[in-house]
Amino acid sequence: MNFKKLLAALLLAAPVLTYAEEPSTLNGQNLSAQTWRTLEALTAEEKAVVDLRSATPRSSVYPYMPAEVYPFAPPYTAEEVGYRLMNYTHRGRWSHILADSFGTITHTGYLTQGALLAMVNQVGGGNGIAGQLNATPGEVHSLQLFHHVYPPRNNGKQTLWVMRRTGLQYTSKLDNFSYSPSLRRVRRSPAPRREESFPNTVPGYDDVAGRDAWELSWRFIGADVLYQTVRFPDNRPKITMMRADGKYYDQATADIRMMGDEYPYYRADGGIDTFVVVAEPNPAWLPDYAVSKIVYWVDQHYFYPLRTERYDREGNLKTIEVRVAKRENRALPDWQGYASLLFVHHEINADLMSYYVHTGHVARQWSEEEQTYFTPDFMRRDWLIYARKSHALIDRPEEFFLRPQLFAERFPAERPIVIAPEVVARSQAQDEAGHLLFSSGE
Amino acid sequence: MQAKNVITIMRGSVAPTWAARGARRAFGHRFVMLGLSVLCLCATPARGDGFSLDGFERGLATFDPGGRYVTRPLEQQFPDLNIKGSYYFWSDRLLSSKEAVGFRERDYDWLQAQSLLELALSYRISSQVEITSVNHLMYDALYDIDDANGLYADRVDRSFEQYDDFEHIARELYVSYRRPKFDLVLGKQQIAWGKMDGQFIDVINPMDFRESVQLESSDYELRRIPLWMANVTYYFQDTSLNLLWIPDFEKNVLPAYGSPWSSPLRPPQDIHARNSEKLLNGHTNAAGDRILNSEEPDWYRFRDHQFAARLDSANGALTWGLIYYYAWARDASQSVVGRFSDEDGDHLILQPHFKRLHHFGVTADYSLEMQAVPFVGSLPIVIRAEALYTKGVAFADFDKLAAARSGALANGISERDTLRGALAFDFAFPASVSVIIQPSVYYTFDWHPGLGSGFGGASGDRWNFAPVVYVGRPIRATGDRLRLGLTVTPIYSGPNRGFQGIKNKFVTSYELSQYIQARLVYTNYGGGDPDDRYGQYDKWDNIGVELQYEF
Repeated sequence: MNFKKLLAALLLAAPVLTYAEEPSTLNGQNLSAQTWRTLEALTAEEKAVVDLRSATPRSSVYPYMPAEVYPFAPPYTAEEVGYRLMNYTHRGRWSHILADSFGTITHTGYLTQGALLAMVNQVGGGNGIAGQLNATPGEVHSLQLFHHVYPPRNNGKQTLWVMRRTGLQYTSKLDNFSYSPSLRRVRRSPAPRREESFPNTVPGYDDVAGRDAWELSWRFIGADVLYQTVRFPDNRPKITMMRADGKYYDQATADIRMMGDEYPYYRADGGIDTFVVVAEPNPAWLPDYAVSKIVYWVDQHYFYPLRTERYDREGNLKTIEVRVAKRENRALPDWQGYASLLFVHHEINADLMSYYVHTGHVARQWSEEEQTYFTPDFMRRDWLIYARKSHALIDRPEEFFLRPQLFAERFPAERPIVIAPEVVARSQAQDEAGHLLFSSGE
Repeated sequence: MQAKNVITIMRGSVAPTWAARGARRAFGHRFVMLGLSVLCLCATPARGDGFSLDGFERGLATFDPGGRYVTRPLEQQFPDLNIKGSYYFWSDRLLSSKEAVGFRERDYDWLQAQSLLELALSYRISSQVEITSVNHLMYDALYDIDDANGLYADRVDRSFEQYDDFEHIARELYVSYRRPKFDLVLGKQQIAWGKMDGQFIDVINPMDFRESVQLESSDYELRRIPLWMANVTYYFQDTSLNLLWIPDFEKNVLPAYGSPWSSPLRPPQDIHARNSEKLLNGHTNAAGDRILNSEEPDWYRFRDHQFAARLDSANGALTWGLIYYYAWARDASQSVVGRFSDEDGDHLILQPHFKRLHHFGVTADYSLEMQAVPFVGSLPIVIRAEALYTKGVAFADFDKLAAARSGALANGISERDTLRGALAFDFAFPASVSVIIQPSVYYTFDWHPGLGSGFGGASGDRWNFAPVVYVGRPIRATGDRLRLGLTVTPIYSGPNRGFQGIKNKFVTSYELSQYIQARLVYTNYGGGDPDDRYGQYDKWDNIGVELQYEF
């Protein structure tokens, strides 16, 4: 172990040691208590929910899928949890519109932000992932149109995603069209490389569009309790959100809960019980995939991914994604109606962070006439159909979200972390200050 | 020295007075200073706790005076108003020594020092009706800062130096009515057809070609010349039909005598050109022929209007489209209509006119993802194709002109059909490396060596082949703010000329903030003969600094 790694290990251990010496609480949580447990330590209730088998009967149509019919019945295998996870992609799995704001910050405080209107058209079999599962490989399951409204240089830029179900013989996941007002041209662009970050952001296409469960191998590694996911800084007491009717309101950030106010399964101490699941790319489906492993913390009732970690080709932790969810679609069964409200992604060694805020959500069925919105040529019209602008942008770099917690001591056998000491130092400094700090001379 | 005196006299007679010129210069300097002031303000430390690079960067990241004090307050006051402003500054400096090339004196250092302020306003009258106005204010300091004999284009056409009339300032002005399946746009507008790097089916509007071979696809938006038209589109399920009715007509703008990109192959010598008012105003040519006023299509004659149709369809991985355009040529062809003699000998009388053209075009693209590519793994690819066949293009025919000079009955023009097309392969490699390979072909049917140039045809030969290669990538270590790009464009032709030279463009762009972008562009021209397409610009290698602020 070189000096940098040793120093990093010491710094990572410091918070744990501090908590051991000086017990404190957060949201009722005893910080000195170990929250995570391996499979051997699962409770009887937890064991009743999970099925630890890896070999289960296969579908006669698609042998790479389980025979049991989605959405499955308990106990759930890790693979079935993987299928349920597909419900919780970046945007809800039903037809809707929403105002999306997003931004990226470097460790020096260089902040870039954007805002867009997203229009989602779930096709081929209704809401949730049923449409995708029932589609034959190559068929379209979702059409998503993004109309950028901010910053000015992107105003009017549009992207159309025509998302397809994959199969062993049909590997293309996306037809990607874009319109640039400066060129006034609609162009078909190559699909983004699935595991690579989008320019100037942390997440990549698969992080946003979701991963297809059949492309990965799944296994449980334990259980854990989460008390915080997305963390607001102490200098941002409120955030401007938008209701479905388009009206704005100020939301106290301290009142935002991990799964929203309607989630019925919070612990008495405010935490959420999670299962921890590992997904590894199946080489038959994803040869040369530059991600070696994905670790999900999913709530034990809906399997919503509150925290997701992506590991690089060498097996080291590369990015952390944390989320806050909200029940946005009451027309669907409770677990299906949840969508993501907030995301923070952290690429730990580049110390680059991205955030997304989804607001002004309206579930909407598109009429036959409105299907034209989701064709490439429509973008040429440069028509912003719904003038929904998110006002959830950040005013100053210091008001950016905090870096997600590392949880370096949890599941150490599964989670190799090699992190630069300066990143650990910055994380500690932010935790002590309650907001991001930027050095003047780095 | 004598030449210098002559210039001064001619400026007194043709150009505005020196006093007026001084006032323009002062205006121009103020315009440039405005841009520089923006930069200086950016350089102010973010807070009063001393200067640091990171602090400067954080301050710069949110530095947006135009947005803060102009667009956002106005948009809040008038919620249905959408404003977008852009300030561009482009400068290109020659790297070669000052020496005459061909007919050009080329004693200048700068190719442009242009400031352009664009203000685009859209007002939503209802959810379906919107009025849009795009306005340009432009000033090119080139003609004031570079006191060269070879720069005098502003004396005849002021738009080379600044936009000061309604036609240029009110660049676009239109009303749009939109329904989900129907779109109507009435007014002055520009239409961009085509998806390739370069112009293939992008033919609806004429173009300002003042930058000649250095006009890039990214410049088209600002260099297309908008036209008054009715633009209707109907959307079927996966297909759309676009119809255009264009009563308006405009010519292309070409690099005039005395502009930095005026071709060195175009006679006469600058010393003669700049002293001939008739030549500069297009009433004669280097051979002393008389050129009559051009006959142009008339807005009030329905039969002079232009019409176009485009059908597009998207079917899974394949998208395709067909176009037809009943158009006018954008460049006048000169027919011989008579002869006369003077003390210099026999000359022709030439009548410039614009020829009707039929354009037939096709466009298609197809996406695929190759698997298990060595060293790369999966490789997303898009293949684009575009072609335009044009019927009845007028070419100057030098054999016929020679015959006409010797008394034969010949109008000096031959009509030919032309074809231009390209096939582009767009690859997305790992590490965000983009590679585009675009072989392009230009072909003139029934070509012979006496033909000049004509729309869509090859340059100086029967065919041209230009395999364009682009490689670009952002640098992740800079948060993708630094981007590097290289475009290589060689031209080969046959059966006569062979290699016609190569153009290499290396672009380094850096995002100073999400509002401000800086670019350093190095362009060089090499190879070919002095009368070849790129070969003639062998001494035009240049480096450019560009700045763009959007608010």
